[in-house]
Amino acid sequence: MPYESIPQFDTRGVCVSLFRDVKNIEELRSKVGTMPFAVIDASCVCCREQLFSAVYKALIEWKYNRLRTKALHSECILSLSPTSNIGEAFRRFGIKEGTRNIICLAVVGKNETQTSELFDVVDGEEVELSDENLGSMFDLEMIKKVCWPLKVFQ
Amino acid sequence: MSKEVIEQVVTYLTPNVPIVPISQGAEAFVFTTNVHPYNASACKTAGDIPVKYIIKYRPPKKYRHPSIDKTLTKHRTLSESRILAKLSQVPGLHVPKLIACDVYNGCIWIEFIGEDLPESHGFSNLKNFLWMYKTDPYNIAVEKVLFKVGEQIGLLHWNDYCHGDLTTSNLVLHQENGDWSPYLIDFGLGSASTLVEDKGVDLYVLERAIISTHSKFADKYNEWILMGFKSVYENEGKKGQQKLKDVIKRFEEVRLRGRKRSMLG
Ligand SMILES: Nc1ncnc2c1ncn2[C@@H]1O[C@H](COP(=O)(O)OP(=O)(O)OP(=O)(O)O)[C@@H](O)[C@H]1O
Repeated sequence: MPYESIPQFDTRGVCVSLFRDVKNIEELRSKVGTMPFAVIDASCVCCREQLFSAVYKALIEWKYNRLRTKALHSECILSLSPTSNIGEAFRRFGIKEGTRNIICLAVVGKNETQTSELFDVVDGEEVELSDENLGSMFDLEMIKKVCWPLKVFQ
Repeated sequence: MSKEVIEQVVTYLTPNVPIVPISQGAEAFVFTTNVHPYNASACKTAGDIPVKYIIKYRPPKKYRHPSIDKTLTKHRTLSESRILAKLSQVPGLHVPKLIACDVYNGCIWIEFIGEDLPESHGFSNLKNFLWMYKTDPYNIAVEKVLFKVGEQIGLLHWNDYCHGDLTTSNLVLHQENGDWSPYLIDFGLGSASTLVEDKGVDLYVLERAIISTHSKFADKYNEWILMGFKSVYENEGKKGQQKLKDVIKRFEEVRLRGRKRSMLG
């Protein structure tokens, strides 16, 4: 399983996979919150930098006991959002009706070994989490609407 | 640099993030590192030169009450980060990109701007750049850079932001396709402001900085900066013309107040 590390948080690792054309979106939706990882709609993520900046932010909030949601995984989704409205963040960046491609992400302890089957519940084609693949899946109009509140874009 | 503060930062960042101290200001310690805080693929080298990042750390101040200190640090860190993030989205405006921010520890990561000037003329801020040309002070390269400096400040003000500490070290030149492009750095005292007073003061502070380091050429230098500044407003039609008039008028008043104050000693 692809495994990323955040240098400052050396006791943790980030397991993360990108899935294309997921067939069991409805099943995953019904399980959101009970699965040990975050499920993100890939159409809202344009590059790795955007994704990992949210993970970094969530780890900071977690380390200093400032989580605004119930767990680190939901905090990663909230951290993707430019506003602090939790419901809105889940509606936009979480999976929803019409979602096809998803990112599954879990922050785990460095010594945890069970991670190889972590995302087995997902029925979809796993592809590399590269800027190129993300770039081909994301929805620019959506990102513009959500992330660019500055007057120069209006 | 204070050993104690360096130890704090090293502990906080862990040995995975090696740092090099580069500056100690009144409020913040500044370091460079080659490690990106969260995007490993960004660390790859560009040519042979490893990519560098700036870490700006505001240490706790012992003379302040701990809870007041925490609140102040959080406030200032957040304020500088927000301004940088907003300004990066203004088309044409050059500021270093904000990479990460930890308000609880007063730490921000910023894109590194600039390079070393040729023949050991030092780091490529405006101050060193002007010194480099002291034997050829009216070179077209100088005129171009100063005009662009004016444009950057014009863009900043036109979008209703002020810098608050416009010195010649807070203007850093970045080379792009053989041309020098000025970037505004250090928004520790920056603010969103519609007040002509703040803008007038910004312009005055920079004018003084140019006069105090390059007095012989300062008239021409300040003229070039002002030309660049004006060009931004003049591109904005009637509304721009009117706003420009107001800012320049206030700038002249601020300058007059400055003179009176120095006459009184
Ligand atoms: N993004 C950057 N790229 C390159 N160098 C930088 C950057 N940010 C800061 N520096 C360097 O670090 C120095 C201090 O940074 P900065 O002005 O932000 O800190 P400060 O503590 O507010 O400084 P001071 O109190 O001296 O104004 C700058 O003069 C510059 O040389």
